[in-house]
Amino acid sequence: VTSAPNEFVIRGAHVLDPSSGLDGVMDVRLSAGRVAEVGEGLRGIRALDADSLSLFPGFVDVHAHWRTPGREDEETIESGSAAAAAGGFTSVVMMPNTEPVVDKPIVVSGLVRRVEQESRVRAYVSAALHEGLKGERLTEMRLLKEAGAYGVSDDGLGTQVAGVLRNGMLYARSAGLTVIVHCEDSSLATGVVHDGVAAALAGVPGSPGSAEDAATATALVLAAETGAKVHITHVSTALSAALVGFFKGRGACVTADTTPHHLTLTDERISTLEGLYRVNPPLRPDGDRLGVGEALRDGILDFVATDHAPHAASEKELPLEEAAPGFLGHETAFAALYTELVRKGELSLSRLVETMACAPGRWVRGGAYGVSVGAPADLTLVDLSEEWTVRADSLVSRSSNSPYLGRRLEGRVVGTVVGGELVYDRMGARFGVRA
Amino acid sequence: LPVRNFLTLEGVGREELKEVLGLARDHSSGRVGHSLIGRTVCLAFFEASTRTAVSFELAARRTGADVISISEKGSAIQKGESLLDTVVTLDALGADAIVIRHPSAGAAALTARHTRAAVVNAGDGRGQHPTQALLDLYALSNALGGFYELAGRRIAVVGDILHSRVARSLVPAFRAAGMEVALVAPDTLLPLEARAWGLPILSSVDDALDWGADTLYALRLQKERMTGARVPSVAEYARYYGVAKRHLTAGALVMHPGPVNRGVEIQGDVVLSGASLIPTQVASGVAVRSAVLALATGAVEKAAA
Repeated sequence: VTSAPNEFVIRGAHVLDPSSGLDGVMDVRLSAGRVAEVGEGLRGIRALDADSLSLFPGFVDVHAHWRTPGREDEETIESGSAAAAAGGFTSVVMMPNTEPVVDKPIVVSGLVRRVEQESRVRAYVSAALHEGLKGERLTEMRLLKEAGAYGVSDDGLGTQVAGVLRNGMLYARSAGLTVIVHCEDSSLATGVVHDGVAAALAGVPGSPGSAEDAATATALVLAAETGAKVHITHVSTALSAALVGFFKGRGACVTADTTPHHLTLTDERISTLEGLYRVNPPLRPDGDRLGVGEALRDGILDFVATDHAPHAASEKELPLEEAAPGFLGHETAFAALYTELVRKGELSLSRLVETMACAPGRWVRGGAYGVSVGAPADLTLVDLSEEWTVRADSLVSRSSNSPYLGRRLEGRVVGTVVGGELVYDRMGARFGVRA
Repeated sequence: LPVRNFLTLEGVGREELKEVLGLARDHSSGRVGHSLIGRTVCLAFFEASTRTAVSFELAARRTGADVISISEKGSAIQKGESLLDTVVTLDALGADAIVIRHPSAGAAALTARHTRAAVVNAGDGRGQHPTQALLDLYALSNALGGFYELAGRRIAVVGDILHSRVARSLVPAFRAAGMEVALVAPDTLLPLEARAWGLPILSSVDDALDWGADTLYALRLQKERMTGARVPSVAEYARYYGVAKRHLTAGALVMHPGPVNRGVEIQGDVVLSGASLIPTQVASGVAVRSAVLALATGAVEKAAA
């Protein structure tokens, strides 16, 4: 063996990277954890035959709950990162609503250390914006940042008082941290599903769209006024998406994401009355699903994030009103979106890759992201032709609360490369795999 | 007799500063005696104050004035008498100067519109605190060897700019003296449009020293009201905005208007260190306020230089 042990060539994949404009069959040489060469006829002692596969920049999920610390029965850094890798994600941002909440520098530094040892993919820590996510006392954001926090958020609850959120944004601006905002007005969000036709007929308490829209408007107004860097996460209504567009046009330093489930599922599901389908924000009517999809297509929404939220079966096999809200997201994200949007002509494959990889990648990395020489070798290999059925027993996550259980999907992630190492492999290739 | 109000330092000129500081020096050295004999100085404090009230009272008495002191406790003010009614009463009693402290910005200017007496602003809300800034300039110029030594110095004002009347007087005063000023605070302790001052805004004492600050002016943090809402914790505040011994190695001076929260905006061992002008600031109060009262009432029309 003459080549360096950490060097190999991925040969013959169809490389699609909207950020660099690559779109065609070519070879990619990886060396020392980075992309070393992109071209045709590349040779190497160790080569991976990726003929008929697609190669994308690694997917990035800026919204995940790995339940660590506190609920390791539902997910761990090991299992969450394995699930992420199985979904083609090479970078993930972990949300702070754990037990205890990630609101102290020592919790952040502990998580950062554990990620280095336990995670298969790059993982970033979002700390709490307020102590205990209570929306009262600011966290020590500058110390949190020094400890390794990537951003701050009161995710899961949302900051209820506008004046408190405003000070949080101002302080985060001083600390140089992005505020990730979960937009939900708790005085409006009194139900467990979307307050629509399905809720009316099923007799399940609903939360109106205004619960999200009013909070989104507040967050955007404050973002524009304070100049803070603000990210609106899991936008689920057409109106909230339009509000994001309005404020982006007025110079606010705002980005926004939506989820695979809000892009592919509607509140029709709740007629099943199954606790599995409870999620927050709730599944919306088709008009919202379409509006959010259009906003993603048009660039008003910047990218997709899964809000991967594992729950024990005992918390989901309950009536809707008693079930814990949340879906698994990592392992089905690409296939669900490819099947429901790309194959149906609602979104181009190129835009899907942009919104799952390039755009969130730039957001996380704070710079260029894509398959280009010198960039970290974070890559995702997908077999677009593979059809598969989502089954609880084949999920890598410790939990199985996927809303796609039993669904037949097209397109499957078959390989995930992080920093030049193959961290997920369904191809039978046997090199560079971490123990 | 012509009166002269001391309401604000916004727009103050270099010559005016020199005049006040020169006259303060004359009072301090005894060259000006009982210039206010036969004059009545009224101290109207609508807000609790210890050091400023005592300092003004001493200044008035040492220059020979009669002093009427009304404070919020045990006076008409506590009984709910309005600001204007109080002012009209003091005017009718023949006050030559009214020294007013009030929780709302603009109270001193309002007072001045309703009295023939000279009005000296002893701090109004978040507005102005002119005599504090004047005594700070006096203390600093003495430490540096004279008024002309102020020009070109770099001073960083650190802390709660948003709520600070001291800062709003310091900034125009320091700039009129030819100093360069930077503000050091988190965005939660700055006005939204802090850029209006046109000053550098820095994010830690370390950054201020990198900027070249040779004087660090720490403001008091009202920690009971600020921590939680605008500042996460004393630990984080002290880490980035607190002045510690390690900041003084290059010879920077330290100032503070008092009272100091030791361990918050200034570490305890800094307060009485050689770099600290804090005791000098307090001592400068009487001379500067004597000069201000003398100029306000017309007792001394020009500095006896």
